[in-house]
Amino acid sequence: MRYSDPKPLTAAQQFLLLQRNPVSKGSGELGAGCFRWCYKASPTPLSRIYDARLEFAPNRSPRVFIDSPDLTLLSGGDDLPHVYDQKPTRLCLYLPRTYEWLPWMRLDLTLVPWTSLWLFYFEDWLTEREWRGGGEHPEPRDVAQRISRSRLQRRHSPRQRIE
Amino acid sequence: MYHDQRLVMRDGMLIGALERMCATLEISPSQAGLAKERYEGVGEWLADSDDPLLKLMGIFLQGSTAIGTTVKPIGSNEHDVDLVAHAPDLGEWVEPAALKKAIGDRLKANGHYKPLLVEMARCWRLVYANEFHMDITPSIPNRSCNLGGELVPDRALKMWKPSNPKGYKALFLERVKLAPRFRVIKSLHTQDSARADIEPYPDQVRFKGLLQRVVQILKRHRDVFISVHEIDPAMSPISVLVTTLASQSYEYCVKTFVYDTELDLLFDVIRHMPDFIEARAANGKTHWFVWNETTQGENFAEKWNSDPKRAEVFFTWHARALSDISRLKEAEGIDGLKRYLGDAFGAGPAKAVVDAITDDISASRRAGTLGVAPRVGLVTGLAAASTTPVRANTFFGR
Repeated sequence: MRYSDPKPLTAAQQFLLLQRNPVSKGSGELGAGCFRWCYKASPTPLSRIYDARLEFAPNRSPRVFIDSPDLTLLSGGDDLPHVYDQKPTRLCLYLPRTYEWLPWMRLDLTLVPWTSLWLFYFEDWLTEREWRGGGEHPEPRDVAQRISRSRLQRRHSPRQRIE
Repeated sequence: MYHDQRLVMRDGMLIGALERMCATLEISPSQAGLAKERYEGVGEWLADSDDPLLKLMGIFLQGSTAIGTTVKPIGSNEHDVDLVAHAPDLGEWVEPAALKKAIGDRLKANGHYKPLLVEMARCWRLVYANEFHMDITPSIPNRSCNLGGELVPDRALKMWKPSNPKGYKALFLERVKLAPRFRVIKSLHTQDSARADIEPYPDQVRFKGLLQRVVQILKRHRDVFISVHEIDPAMSPISVLVTTLASQSYEYCVKTFVYDTELDLLFDVIRHMPDFIEARAANGKTHWFVWNETTQGENFAEKWNSDPKRAEVFFTWHARALSDISRLKEAEGIDGLKRYLGDAFGAGPAKAVVDAITDDISASRRAGTLGVAPRVGLVTGLAAASTTPVRANTFFGR
């Protein structure tokens, strides 16, 4: 049996939480039920400081874009891994239609840290074009139906490296 | 002096990267232990001989293994372990060739050592394939040296020349112990205690023995420089010269200046090295001297005087080392770090460093201890209050 999920957070609540968490320091515009939040993300102190943009609208997955620097320029034209779109660059941060992100979850505690994590593996990917952050590749089936967590975990967990 | 936390963490990450690189290049503790076991065995075997030349002989380490500055040679799996076979009861009346022969004969008489033995110009080499080779150089006391020096054969094996491996090691290790002074970084908690987004000061990453790391970093850079520019390896600046200049410069910098960070000290030590080369003009020629401070009459730059090209190679390399190493501070991104490390130290160590950083983050992510700190980025371990944990996620998409 399944308990019902907590109540979804409203756009205004998410917006306020993003404003208050120093990790997502930035600025944005709040509309009616939707907003845009621009923040700086940098995965390590040696990394570039990236301009990220989070877009939130009702009944739609929140979306994260990297506006600058232009990641496709950094990749020298090679196709970026784990993005929905190359340009504007929209990051694939979690498995849709699973429990990784649900509307009651705070964006400043999920998508914002995941942005830094994605950018970390991106800079690592730039060195040898190998994605070491693990992940799922979309198959029509995966998108079409909700997949149980246990089945997901059996698939690629972040790969352990053996030296 | 105010320091942005991010800048301090940046230096820490670079120090961590250089630390990791040195650790992959130096002799491992287990190999060093094995080497010790083996050279002690050699020492016993020599001392058990009936040959009166060998009867009081003792074996001890000299060079980089003795002072903790080993760097694996390029294109070889073997570390050099340099040893002195010292005969305290002998004097200059023994011919260098005779003492060397006595050691060789004794080693050949042992079925275990015989197949490993290779004769070199002034020493014997025992080759333990893919591990290390031990170079055993004969030595006798130098009774005219008031610093307790020794005499070792010259390259031609005709004469004894002054050296002082024990004194050199002692002086170097004294300098290692000199504590640098750093400007007190105004604590962020006092200055900015009102700001919730600033963490208490993180523990600063430090070098394990800055002087030893400087020497290792320079030796590795030199080896890559010589190899990439296809310079005759015989022209390569010798390790003892690089080590001597670095240790003199370290003492000078530590006693004269106050630094912001260990990285700044590292750059400065490299920058001041040429100040300790003595140049004298005579008959329109420059004569170079880098004296062994622990005995009289050993000039580590001796070969520069018969072959001025060597001085030129040194100065060209030194300028390049300074620029390649100080450039690391400008690295942008993990990819930038790897590129700069690769240019300076070769692709292998650069990859090892990036792999270590990535493995560290991935392991912390799996363990559920990864966090993001404001302005700093990912941190392994959720120690600080304003660190946001990174929840489990699966990157989607191709």
